[in-house]
Amino acid sequence: MERPCGVILTLAAVFAMILFFGPPDTAAADPTINLGCAISFTGGQSRTGKLYRDSYDMAVEQINKTGGVNVGGKRYQMKIIYYDDKSDPTESSKLVEKLISEDKVNFLLGPYSSGITIPDSIVAQRYRVPMIEGGGASGKIFSRGNKYIFGTLPPAGQYFKSTLDMLETLKPAPKSVAILYSDDKFDVSVAEGTKKLAKGMGLDVVLFEKYSEGATDFTSLLTKIKSKNAQVVLLSGHTEESLNFTQQAKELNVCPKLIAMTVGPSEADFRHSLGKDAEYIYGVASWSTQMNFKGLLFSDTQQFVQQFKAKFDYDPDYHNASGIADVAVYKNAIEKAGSLDPQKVRDAIAATDLNTIYGRVQFSPNGQIKGTSVVLQIQGGEIYQVFPTGTKTPVYPFTCWTDR
Amino acid sequence: MLLQILINGLLKGGLYALMAIGMSLIWGVMDIINIAHGSFIMLGAFVTYWLFTLLGIDPFLSLFFSVGLLFILGYGIQRYLINYVIRASAFITLILAFGIEIFINNLALVAWTADVRKVEVAYGAANFSIGHWVTIPTVRLVAFGLVILISLLFFFILNRTHLGRSIRATSQDLDGARLVGVDVAHTYALTFGLGIGAAGAAGTLWAILFPISPMMGGILTLRSFVVVIIGGLGSMLGPIIGGLALGLTESFGSNWFGSTYSDLIGFTILVLVLIIRPKGILGGTD
Repeated sequence: MERPCGVILTLAAVFAMILFFGPPDTAAADPTINLGCAISFTGGQSRTGKLYRDSYDMAVEQINKTGGVNVGGKRYQMKIIYYDDKSDPTESSKLVEKLISEDKVNFLLGPYSSGITIPDSIVAQRYRVPMIEGGGASGKIFSRGNKYIFGTLPPAGQYFKSTLDMLETLKPAPKSVAILYSDDKFDVSVAEGTKKLAKGMGLDVVLFEKYSEGATDFTSLLTKIKSKNAQVVLLSGHTEESLNFTQQAKELNVCPKLIAMTVGPSEADFRHSLGKDAEYIYGVASWSTQMNFKGLLFSDTQQFVQQFKAKFDYDPDYHNASGIADVAVYKNAIEKAGSLDPQKVRDAIAATDLNTIYGRVQFSPNGQIKGTSVVLQIQGGEIYQVFPTGTKTPVYPFTCWTDR
Repeated sequence: MLLQILINGLLKGGLYALMAIGMSLIWGVMDIINIAHGSFIMLGAFVTYWLFTLLGIDPFLSLFFSVGLLFILGYGIQRYLINYVIRASAFITLILAFGIEIFINNLALVAWTADVRKVEVAYGAANFSIGHWVTIPTVRLVAFGLVILISLLFFFILNRTHLGRSIRATSQDLDGARLVGVDVAHTYALTFGLGIGAAGAAGTLWAILFPISPMMGGILTLRSFVVVIIGGLGSMLGPIIGGLALGLTESFGSNWFGSTYSDLIGFTILVLVLIIRPKGILGGTD
């Protein structure tokens, strides 16, 4: 029993020394504003979670490089305290609570995915700390009368609106639509909104079907699409599901006239993985690298895209741009409020009217950004914005798999 | 359309059977429920992915590498890890396997990140049509052929070779096997290696058909588990029957009731089998 005692004593001594000398001195010249963020480093959402972390970090770095945040004449540096929520909503809400009560962060940045944002936003409301999030677009986040949540992704129910608008301009205009969606909260909102819009436009919704999140097998759904002869397929899911759907559509030789997906086409991984099978698939996004906005933090979208690519070695997508906007809104709102008081900053966020590289940011009374999405299409291995305006025109109908 | 659904189900079932065959072998011989089975499938898939991406080796050719490497890995893990607790209660081996699963998954996550990857081969989505309504995906058909081949190979090994007799001897009567000079530790390790090697083969085919990522193993373990239970232990035909049963019910079920219910249907079958035939469709009675 003597050795373990010795080990414990040594450890205790080390801890005592750490306590005595303290961690390396961080209290440099400027005081800091701490933003707390519980987001996925591991688990199912970790891939997209990283996109947000990269953006948050880059925006904060840019702020600190260019003079920090000016609060009533006093300069503050900005800092983010992260925790890994392991892609688990329960874990995430606990960590948000820890960020507020133990780490005493000033404000909160959101996690990724609607399902995780809902519990997190409820914690933010309970402690009356504002949370700006760039990764949850489900109407369920914003329909609770929560005054402390602000989101920079456009309303889920409107996601496919631009795509449906585009259908009317195509010749011959397609008439029948199949809507497939994962049982994730965001995708359910997208699908229900889309169904309503499509019916309102007089389109025939021949298939409206939900599948389990993370599903790998789409052969049954594809067989139904073929037998119902759906001309347009709108898929609201996640990257892996989009990949599986496309590959299996080719395996079973199912070939509708138009395929559009919420997530997948705008990601470089998706295009590289599928190669020429990804051609002509449509995507929707609240933002694309081909836009051009002047804004806070970066002089314009193109300069941001270049700087981002140089730093992280991949093309930013709308997740990244949304994340940049979140931090930019904080800087702007804190400076406008001239205070770090959560209530004052909340009111300043609600009144935001800010130009960013993501576009103009204004919030609806429910906290969600006002804005619409654009239609993208993969052509020649690259993604182009094709509607309502765009660098290329939409290619329609879809060239079947075997005819390429 | 019904014919197409039937074919979809059969081919899916073939893939399930291939996934489960290794788990069934390990479970049947050593009474180890290998919770880490799906993680080994994931490793097999990544072997194929890297050989293809870095060296341009054809995925079907990489089958030999994934099976070989995973056989060696499985042998090592059994011999130098699981063998120490094999005489302990089933829960201890279960917990150890669970630990191995967490370890492998997170190691893969650190090494390869959570990115979704895809082996992009020209024939990945190859198919041929019979008439207007029926399309048969070629790779899935090959997978189906492969599972039958591997099952026959296992059958041959277990029934016609010295190794197979040692494996069956140790599973039937451990002390008896020791008495006649069977090296039990070595035999167990070979069995585990064979089971994991089969997981490697399933991984290779999975990588050709589906996108892969380090966390994909969990659901595959679950599916394999269901297939083994449905089919019953102790026969090489078990996983095939179980796989086909699951594939077909999922395929028809999701057509009739909707895709969200495909898991529900799978697990309902599992519960029904457990109630009506607790030893599985092909399992013996005792």
